[in-house]
Order: sequence, then structure tokens, then C-alpha cells
Amino acid sequence: MKFQIEDVTVYFPYDHIYPEQYSYMIELKRALDAKGHCLLEMPTGTGKTIALLSLITSYSLSKPQSPIKLIYCTRTVHEMEKTLAELKLLHNYQIKHLGPQARILAIGLSSRKNLCVNPTVLAAENRDSVDAGCRKLTASWVRAMAAENPNVPTCQFFENYEKAASAAVLPPGVYTLQDLRAFGKEKGWCPYFLARHMVQFANVVVYSYQYLLDPKVAGIISKEMQKESVVIFDEAHNIDNVCIEALSVSVRRQTLEGATRNLNRISHEIDRFKATDASRLRAEYNRLVEGLALRGNLPITDNWLSNPALPDDILKEAVPGNIRRAEHFLHVLRRLVQYLRGRLETENVEKESPVGFVASISSHAGIDQKALKFCYDRLHSLMLTLEITDTDEFLHIQTICDFATLVGTYGRGFSIIIEPFDERMPHIPDPVLQLSCHDASLAIKPVFDRFQSVVITSGTLSPIDLYPRLLNFHPVVSRSFTMSLTRDCICPMVLTRGSDQLPVSTKFDMRSDPGVVRNYGKLLLEMVSVVPDGIVCFFVSYSYMDGIINTWNDTGILKEIMQHKLVFIETQDVVETTLALDNYRRACDCGRGAVFFSVARGKVAEGIDFDRHYGRLVIMFGVPFQYTLSKILMARLEYLRDTFQIKEGDFLTFDALRQAAQCVGRVIRSKADYGMMIFADKRYSRHDKRSKLPSWILSHLRDANLNLSTDMALHIAREFLRKMAQPYDKTGGGDRKTLLSQEDLEKMGDGTMHEMEY
Amino acid sequence: MISDIRPSTDGRTNKVTFNLTPENILQIFSEKPAVLHAFLSYVPNKMSERDFWTKYFRAEYLHGTKNSIAAAAEAAEDEELAVFLKQDDILASEARWKVRRVDPTLNMEADEGDDYTHLPDRGIFRDGSKEMTESQNELYRRTLSQDFNRHAAVVLEGRAVDVELEDTRAVAEALARSKQELSTKGESDGDASWERLDRVSRMTEIEDLQGPNNLPLAPLCIKDPRDYFDSQQANALRTSGDAFGGMEQIKCSLSTQEVYGSLRESISQIKATGLKDPIVKPEVAHQVFDALTNSISTTKYHIGKNPHESVLDRLPKKTKEELLHHWTSILELLKHFWASYPITTTYLYTKVNRLKDAMSNIYPQLEEIKGSVPSDLRHQVSLLVRPMHQAVDAAIQHYEADMQKRSTRRETKWIRLGGTIPLLYACLILTYTLYIRSILLWRGSYFCPIDVKTTSHLQMQHFSEIIRGEEPCAPLIC
Repeated sequence: MKFQIEDVTVYFPYDHIYPEQYSYMIELKRALDAKGHCLLEMPTGTGKTIALLSLITSYSLSKPQSPIKLIYCTRTVHEMEKTLAELKLLHNYQIKHLGPQARILAIGLSSRKNLCVNPTVLAAENRDSVDAGCRKLTASWVRAMAAENPNVPTCQFFENYEKAASAAVLPPGVYTLQDLRAFGKEKGWCPYFLARHMVQFANVVVYSYQYLLDPKVAGIISKEMQKESVVIFDEAHNIDNVCIEALSVSVRRQTLEGATRNLNRISHEIDRFKATDASRLRAEYNRLVEGLALRGNLPITDNWLSNPALPDDILKEAVPGNIRRAEHFLHVLRRLVQYLRGRLETENVEKESPVGFVASISSHAGIDQKALKFCYDRLHSLMLTLEITDTDEFLHIQTICDFATLVGTYGRGFSIIIEPFDERMPHIPDPVLQLSCHDASLAIKPVFDRFQSVVITSGTLSPIDLYPRLLNFHPVVSRSFTMSLTRDCICPMVLTRGSDQLPVSTKFDMRSDPGVVRNYGKLLLEMVSVVPDGIVCFFVSYSYMDGIINTWNDTGILKEIMQHKLVFIETQDVVETTLALDNYRRACDCGRGAVFFSVARGKVAEGIDFDRHYGRLVIMFGVPFQYTLSKILMARLEYLRDTFQIKEGDFLTFDALRQAAQCVGRVIRSKADYGMMIFADKRYSRHDKRSKLPSWILSHLRDANLNLSTDMALHIAREFLRKMAQPYDKTGGGDRKTLLSQEDLEKMGDGTMHEMEY
Repeated sequence: MISDIRPSTDGRTNKVTFNLTPENILQIFSEKPAVLHAFLSYVPNKMSERDFWTKYFRAEYLHGTKNSIAAAAEAAEDEELAVFLKQDDILASEARWKVRRVDPTLNMEADEGDDYTHLPDRGIFRDGSKEMTESQNELYRRTLSQDFNRHAAVVLEGRAVDVELEDTRAVAEALARSKQELSTKGESDGDASWERLDRVSRMTEIEDLQGPNNLPLAPLCIKDPRDYFDSQQANALRTSGDAFGGMEQIKCSLSTQEVYGSLRESISQIKATGLKDPIVKPEVAHQVFDALTNSISTTKYHIGKNPHESVLDRLPKKTKEELLHHWTSILELLKHFWASYPITTTYLYTKVNRLKDAMSNIYPQLEEIKGSVPSDLRHQVSLLVRPMHQAVDAAIQHYEADMQKRSTRRETKWIRLGGTIPLLYACLILTYTLYIRSILLWRGSYFCPIDVKTTSHLQMQHFSEIIRGEEPCAPLIC
């Protein structure tokens, strides 16, 4: 369908639109007009992604003189694929109605591991080996060598891509990673470098959060993006955690040992170069004197992880004199490693601020702050000079340099915590020095500064006023939309008591109570016999899940569950979990039915949808609080209290409830879909906890469902499923329309529209 | 679940006993390819089957104690034991190629490359959300979750071996074979990725925003279910006339011509290109067909008294055919005969007369058959002929009774009695004849399907002639 929002003609690839999608678009359009940032919360299952994509592409189509670029950030690669698939749908529709002028180029960008088509490189297991494998074949010096000596292996795909030079372009269209690989294979061009090259011409770029937030990656990938871009962070409820993770580093004994090995190897290389090709080192020195650092004209393949988010002025400074010479720099690093090793030999937990730490480094190891700040760049330059290709071997020393640069750069918002052992296992000495970031705004600040519009959106952003404080920005639009439902297709329940009427909870003093475990088991057992197709269960942590599964297995509950449905379990091994998920879906597809056990805050909870028959019921066993005894969490809470006046308890509850809401929200995909949600913990019935749930769940949580026991929940589930199985009028009917057609939109002025929303 | 095989103790000594059934073995083999592999390579050359399982359960027991250090120590001493204790390499490699084929929208493995958190020392290391594991003995750690996932995956795959479960070796080999087939098939399967993409694009659409999709359709209309599901004979005659008449009255969005056109089109397409994407693979279809028809024929077989050899088979072919022929003709005559009662019109009256004449003609013919067979078979034939006799006798008896009744119509008493008793009797006979008829039809179609059909068609004509009265007493066999 096609409709007007003020001066923009929006092309929407479906015949109908939900009213909340329409008002979402209106708000988004206002934010774009105002060239400001915005914060939008809309329940899952209301088609956020397609609303976003169709408004922004239509917006840029309607303003051909100043086309805006869309940078769409997803948390995971599979979400990226989903987004691109939706965009493809939209693009086909726009081409059909507008003709060739609607053509856009949209690409997904990922690491070499997901884009490489060279079979020898792909054989490597993890990302870093693939990166290193690629560099071994494509680094500029390797290729120079290959030009002279044909026995040096190179990558055929990259050579072809280089040969094609400016002719190597992607024709307009929407390319998923799969499409990129297929295109690369067909043309014989390297898809990774092709995609990297095309990023600057593409109208839509879809990639992972890290490409913008992680300064190590952002420097290379995102530096060419113009200011007139719209950046979208989808599923952004966890964005503060992503930000602080991006700037946190930890150093362990293994790291220091590895770093020492790396340093020995580097010194060996330096000696070798001195003997054979001393001019190279001298050239590097001269370059550093001139302050060119690395930003100059390095070939694309030699570029790699860039320095952590440094203020611009530092980038323009020259590398300080005392680390310009390779040997001197090496000595500095050796002293630094030595110093850190000394600090790790502690018997008590120590907490320090970066300023104090830098002062102590300077007095004990004689390294000043400025030298620390440049460690990362200097190492990078040195490794290029020494023509080191197996970069995956040098991760440890890179970590040390990351650490040094961060400590040298930031005076506030961080703390250094040294723990001699994990307090859950005090008998195993495992000292760790952690530089943990507390301030999420540090990592995201460059993004807010650089781009004209940043959209942060998710199904759960409640309380919505907290995010601007955490991320330190001022949105021009900040709205939370409710869901207009044709029928009550979600059914949240709070289960406080088990089948024996005793309270259930994962509270610390109750979680190991066999009665609670049994009650949880009975609940699931009853539910599997009533609910068709897929059921998803979320537990508060892996260890709790393992424990409960073992108990259920011993008591035979699991065996009874398996008579109704197959059981799949999320593990910490990603490959295994992926296969388990795939099998889970197949079990639901073929009608066998299955239960999936997963962990809140785990990878599955973050990005996998359990829509339609893949999830008719979610059970959240317990409240997923963070591990509150963690030193890092305590430091962060303290920081939040001091800087933002956010109370510890409030933050913890907010964090736990957004995770819970996130977990249960995965069952709904559209209004034709339906699902039940059971919050199985007595603490959910308390108002202070419950009220932190997003409003779209709260509005369906009836008072009668607030304090249920297993048998009552079972009854409600039966009734609900029976009700949902009836045919219904999709448009909502009567006065409250939940599905709008093109005529509806034309008939209605904006005024009536707004009445409907509220 | 394999974990259900739990040890039992005798309570006095430290001995534990595991009980293993052939089903358990099959399950272990299909869920743990490494054990299967070890079995094929060790048994019986290196160790006996008993030793093998003892070792296996030793390893399981070690796992059960959840003591990975002990497991590691034991494994270091005994390399065969280590096979069971270690992670399953075959599974791991299988997982690697399987993970390339999963739906990209849930492939979490792809994230590994896009995320820095997998790197050592990046991100927050000890915030409590990440779990602690002992990394040294990781190799010998196996969790219950893995077992559950594996079990469910095997259930879903649903692989069956059609060998005797008692023979462990045969089971192992059959499983290994089927596994190999699966993996070679998996590698050659190019369509999978296409299908996957197709599924992704279908998944992305939001269903209720889409307009209703009105595909053109022609509803299947069965006018009279009994007509459809009942005897094929009647169907074969009627469909040509009735069914088409019925079709036109149904409201449908497709005209007959269109349906016919599209059918022809698709047939010609299949002719030209072959079935590219058959719903069922030809081999499978053939197997299913065989299995089904086989069971049908055996049930037919068993209805006869002698399940192993039919009486009919021992008769000379000519006699057999004649017998079958008479059976069918008698049944058809009886059907029409009983259908004409109660006689209300003169038409029916003459029809009944004709039928009766035709039936009485059969007696000598049956006698003739009886006489023509060799003496050793005569008893058998007379057994076969007897029910026919009885059926015809009953009909004629009823006919005569009815005639008598008609002549003495005035006597009301008779009417009352005569009305009910023969009717009951007729019902009995009818069910009986129907029963016989069905047996005979089954037999007939089984033994010589084509012949019977042709004769029945020919007879149809005759019956209709008899009924219509064009050829009152025509001989039935031409």
C-alpha cells in the first residue's frame, strides 16, 4: 500500500498496516525532520523493522536531492539476515510500484569468517584464524613477494577483485551475506573486500553493533559514513551493556605469559630486520616523527582493528619520542607487562581508579600517560613494519596495548579491579585484573556526535526515561507505543505457587529447595500435556538450569515430559545450540512438539524468535537478577548512584525485568499470532517488580492472573488456547480498528488517528 | 534415553549391574557414532562383545560420577576406554557440516565472527553472568544437556534399521551404512540452501498484514459418499453419467474446461520434463505400494478357510473360471431378484419371473461342473457349489412362497405371516450372499483380475437385457 505522511509518500509492502506502525512512522518522520535522535519503544510482534525500513527508504526516495544513508545495526548476524530479508521484500515492492528509480544498494557486512569464499582460508575455525589466514594471502607485502615468486600462495578471489579495480562494483539490489558470497563466487571476486568497498556507496548498510560501537572496528569500517546518515540500533534494550563491554578489558596470567612470548618473537623479528633490512625500521621511525602514524595510504588489506575511541586531537598528535624506536617501544612494553604481573600477585581484592593506576605505573615502571595512550597505534605500526601476518598469534600483546591505551585515555568512568580468585571458587587461584567501563555513554558518544539521527528502538525500553540518562543524550522524540490488539492474543500470568500451594521462587534461599524444583517440574509437565507445538523455558543462569535438569532427570520428571514433547537444551557451545534450535524448529514443524530450555541473558534469549507454533508458551522460571556479589557490578552500581542518582535496587530490578520481558516477548510476531507467558516466581506479584514490565505486557496482565497456582494456570491455559483456536475478524471490527487498509488511512485525517493511539 | 540404563546394585558388594537390551544397543549406536565406530573396529577382533560393553559401561559409570579428573586419569591408562570418555569426534564433524545448512536466521554460530566477546580477555570477564568451567579436563566433560539434545535429534531423524535386533553386529553395520548414505546425500544435496532461503523469505512476511490470497480452486465434491466408497462395480457404471451431472451444479470458481486444461498442461509438462520434484521418491512410493498391496492380498488370502492354499488353486483352470463366473452371475441375479421385492407393479412381477427362470437354469450347469471335475476334487467343488445352491434355493423358495401367497391373497392371516417371515429370511440370505459375494469378488480379482472384470462387464449387459426383458431366457454364458 501507498500513503502520505505529511510530505512523504510511504511505500509499504503489505495491503494492511497496524495503527501503531503508522504512528511509529509519524514519530520517526518527525525525528528525521528535526535531524535529531529518538527513542522508540514498540512491542514485539508489531512489525517494527518493516515500519522503520519502509519509512526511511521512502523518506530518502522523496528527497532525491539529499539522499540519506541508512545504517542499520543489529546485535547478531541472524538478525541481520532477517532484516535484509524484510528489506528485500520491501525493495521488490518499491521497484514494482516506482520502477527503476527506487533502486537502492543494500548490503550486510560481516567479518571475513562469514563472507570469505576461499576454501583454504575458511578451513580455519574461528574468526581470528580466518582473519590471519586471509592476511597471509592478501597482505601487501605477501602480494609483492608473490609478484616475484609465483610459488607464494595468494588468494585468487582477491587478485581478481584487484584486477577488476574500479569495475568491481555491486549492481543495485539487496544483498544478504549469502547473496554476497554467491555473487563473489560467480564473479570470482572477494566478497569481503567488495562489500567493504561498497559500504561507502550503499544506501543501506546492515551490520553489527560492534562496527559502530567497538572503537577497534569502528575506525576502519565506519569512518567513511557521512554525517547525513540515520543510524538505527534495533533491539537496543541492552545497548548500555554492549557499550560498556566494548571498552572493558581484562588481563589474566595467561595473557601476560602470552604477551611475553609475543614480545620475544617481536624482538627476534626486529633483530632479523636489523640484519637484513634496516631501512624499513628507519622509514617507520621517520614516518612516526612526521606524525603520520598509520592513517595514511595503507592498502586496504593491511588495515585492521584500529585504536580505541580516541578523541580526534590525539589522532593528530605525533607518537611521543620515547616509543618511536622499535627497541624502545619493546622495552616499554616489557616493563608494562612486568608491572602488571607484579600487580596480579595480590592476595586481596583491590579497586583503583585509572588516574591512580596511571600514576602508579609512571612511578613504578617509568611509563608516562602519553606513552600509554599511544601503545595501541604504536604496536599496530610495528607489526605492519615487521610484516607479521599471523595476527591471531599476537592477541595477547594486543590486549595489553588495548588496556594501556584505555587506561591512558580515560580518567573517569572506569575502574580497575584486581581479584585474586573468583569468590564462588575461593580455593582456585585465578588472579585477574579488570579494566571495567561503567559509563555506557563513552562508547556511544562518537556515534551521537557524528550522525544526524540516531534511532534507538526495541520492544522493551521501559522505563523509557532511563536510557537517555544512561547513554547521556537528548532525544527529540521519546515515545512508547502500546499494542492495539484484535483479540487478547497474549496471556501473561504470574504463577506464585506450585501444585502443592507452596510458594515458588528462585530467591537465593529458596532456589535449591527440592520442593521448588519439583513444583517447577510439575508446572512444566502439566503444561506440556496441554499446550500444542513449542514451549520455551528460560532459567536464570546456566548453573541453575544444569542443576534443575539433573534433578528432573533423577526424579523422572524429564522422562515424563519427553513422552509429550522432545527436549532441547541451550548449552554454552554455540554450534550445539544452533543445531538444537534447528532441530527444535523441525520438531515443531512436523507436529511432534518440543520444549526448549534456555537461559535469560544467554545468546538464545537475545536474538532468536519463537514466534507462531515455535512458541505457544514461555515460562520464565525465576527473576533473572544479575550476580549481585560481582565486584564489577558493585563498582558499576556505585558509579551509577554517584553520577546519575540511580538507586542500586532500582537498577537491578530494571535490569532483571527487562531481561524477563525480553525473554517472554519472543513469542509474538504478529497479531495473528498468539502465546502465553508464565512468570513463575512469587516476587513477580509484588508491585515494585511487576510495574517495571513494559506496558504492553502489563496491560494484558489481569488482576485475576496475578497470584496463580499450577492448577489455576493450567485451567487458564486451556481456556486461552480454546479461545485462540476460534476464527476471528482480523480487522478488529467495530469502533476500534486494529488493521488499517489504504482507504482507512486516506479517510482518516491525522486527528482521528491520534485519538486512536492513546 | 540412554541415561535410563541405570546400574543396579546388589546391596552387599560394590558390584553394579547394567542390563542391556537389543533396543538399548540400537539406541546407543544411533546416538553415539563413536561407540558404533569403536564397536565395528574392536569387536570381535580385539575384544569380545561382552568386554566391549563392560568397557562402555565402565566409562558411563565414570561419567555418572561427574568426576572429570578421575575420568581423565582412567582415560590416560586405557586408550580403548578413552574412546568412550572423550567427546565424540564424529558427532563434532557432523555438527560442523550440519551447522552450515541451518536456517541463517537462527545461526548463532555466525555471530562468533562478528563479536569480540569470544576473544580471550575482551569484555567483562568476571561479572557473574559467565560461568566458570574447569578448562583442563574439558575434554572429558560431557553434560546431560548434550545427551538430551542428541537424543532428541536422533528421534527426529527417525532412522530405522530393518535387521534383527538380536544380532548386534548386523545392527551396527546397518546403522553405519545408513549413516554413510545420509552424509553422502547431505553433501550432494544442492537444493537445501535454496529451500532454506525460500523458507526465510516466507518467514519474514507478516501474515495478517497480507491481503487474503484467493487462489483459484475447484472444490472436491462427493455427491453421495456411499456411492463413492461402495463397490467399484456400481461406480464404474455410474460415474460416467452421474458424476458429471453433479459437477455442473456445484458453484466453483473454475470451469470444467479450465480444470481439464490445467490438468492436461501439467501432465504434458511432466511428460516433457519428468517429475522434477516428486512429492514422494519413486523408490519409496514403490515400497509403500508393495507393502500396502501385499497386506491387502494377504488379508484376502486369510479370509478363506485354508490360509496357505486356496481350494480354487487346486482346481483345473477351466473349472475355476467357470465357478467364479457362476458365482458372479448368481450374485448379480440374486441382487436384482431381491431388489424387486415386494412386488408392487406388473413390471416387477415379470422381472422376477424372468430372474427365477434364469436362476433355475443354473442348476444343471452347476451339476455339469461338478461332474466334469476329477473325483478327488469333486468334494471340494461340491463344497464350493453348495452355498450357491443354497442361495438360489432360498430365492426360489421365497418366490414360490410369494406366488402361493398371491394366489391366497384373501386370507388375511397368511398375509400377515407371509409378509414378515419371508422378509426376515430374505434379509438373512441377503447378508449371507453379500458376504459370499464379497469374498468371491476379492478372490476373483486377486487370482485373475482381468478375466473377472471382462466377464462381469459382459454379464452386466446380459443382466440388463434380462431385466429389461429383451431376451428373457438367454443363456448366461456366451
